[in-house]
Amino acid sequence: MNIKFSFIIIDDSELDCFVTKKFLERSYENLVIKTFQNANHALEVIRENPGNNSPTVILLDLQMPFMNGFDFVEEFEKFPADIQKNYRIAVLTILTSASNPTDIYKILTYKAVNSIIEKPLTREKLLSILS
Amino acid sequence: MSEKIKILYLDDEPDNLLGFKASLRLDYQILTAVNVPQALDCLETHPDIRVVFCDQRMPGKTGVDFFEEIRISHPLPIRIMLTAYTDVEAIIDAINKGNIFRFVKKPWTDADIIGAIEEANKFYVANSMLAIKNHELQKAYDELNKFAYSVSHDIRGPLSGILGAINLANEIDDVEEMKEMLFLMKKSVKKMDAYVLSMHDYYSLQRGELKITEIDFNKVIDELKAIYTVLARVNGVKFNISITQDGIFRSDYAPLRLVFNNLLSNAFKYQDRDSKNKSVEVIVEIEKSVATIYVKDTGIGILGSHVGEIFNLFYRSNSLEVGSGFGLYNVRSALMKLNGQIEVQSVLHQGTTFKVTIPSI
Repeated sequence: MNIKFSFIIIDDSELDCFVTKKFLERSYENLVIKTFQNANHALEVIRENPGNNSPTVILLDLQMPFMNGFDFVEEFEKFPADIQKNYRIAVLTILTSASNPTDIYKILTYKAVNSIIEKPLTREKLLSILS
Repeated sequence: MSEKIKILYLDDEPDNLLGFKASLRLDYQILTAVNVPQALDCLETHPDIRVVFCDQRMPGKTGVDFFEEIRISHPLPIRIMLTAYTDVEAIIDAINKGNIFRFVKKPWTDADIIGAIEEANKFYVANSMLAIKNHELQKAYDELNKFAYSVSHDIRGPLSGILGAINLANEIDDVEEMKEMLFLMKKSVKKMDAYVLSMHDYYSLQRGELKITEIDFNKVIDELKAIYTVLARVNGVKFNISITQDGIFRSDYAPLRLVFNNLLSNAFKYQDRDSKNKSVEVIVEIEKSVATIYVKDTGIGILGSHVGEIFNLFYRSNSLEVGSGFGLYNVRSALMKLNGQIEVQSVLHQGTTFKVTIPSI
């Protein structure tokens, strides 16, 4: 199956980047996927490549050291509108009983964020946000 | 008690103030005020006033009004009404609105006043202790909250990654790809294991008593040397140790080892992978019952603005996956137990030096 999206995966865990990437590669052919373990690097790359005409989906982990998912979205929303319009953000996160539920709702209040997937990842969950 | 108890007396008649001060000034530090603004001023400049005496009948504000006001603005000092005016309504108001501790009738005797002060002081001390305990409890509770959150996240994080990988494994046929994933899974498992071990360190440091023995630094280092020499060889890092121990040094072995282990682990962990000249150096000097330890690395360094935070629990200044946020917090806790100090000097992209000093116990 062909799809006209590109992907950016941002997760501090190498394993999670790998798994997400493999799930995508197994679902679609000829994909452009970039992975980042550091959200700051991802921001720099987006700043330098404002995006072409094919939209890019950012799969974003929330809990990361240094720059977490919230910080990333805050920074992303400062970009000019013609950069932002090329990207959609989907959040991938674990939901724990100890994590503050308002945190999870808060991330959805950002207009750049479209959906949330709960980890652990399965193919069904991943594809559900892309349809 | 070395310091005299500070007492404020507010009365509109200077003669009363004078008499009060004259008979009590030897045992207490007496501050006086003839009107409410002066008394408020006094409370502002002397936040350690423990007992406030006040007359009821004064021009302008009554004693009850004054107490009602400072009950909110200066809640700590214990309030005592000192008055000849014994109207029942006023007494009821003093109790209900002014929330007074005692009511002393004029003319007073020294015994009345001293008794009231001593009881008020006990009450004040008990209250302050309670406030301190409450504060400590709140701190412990906040830390526990942070702890619960971080533990559940830092253990569930790698677990959910592994579960995701197992989901993916059902679709993988290629052995090489599978091996690559198993390698990453192993890293996640190791990380979780290290996390649980540090958590154990954290608890034994918080709870444990000191076990003082004579310390031979060569022995402490030898055990760690074996592990880190291998790591040094694998990663192409020069590893030097020098120990000069003169005389006997007494301390607790376990926290001491923890300090070395964490600092060494960081020194190797945060090396610049692309650098050609990687080195870790440990210098231990024991002189006049004080151990001075340097752990120097040529690693990636710490951003200046982060240096102040690196000893905080769960703080990770680096986006690499390796840190748990326990290490330096545990180092600091261990050093607190050993009466030690730690200093850090770091230059970004050049390296970090930790200097630890520990006195012999």
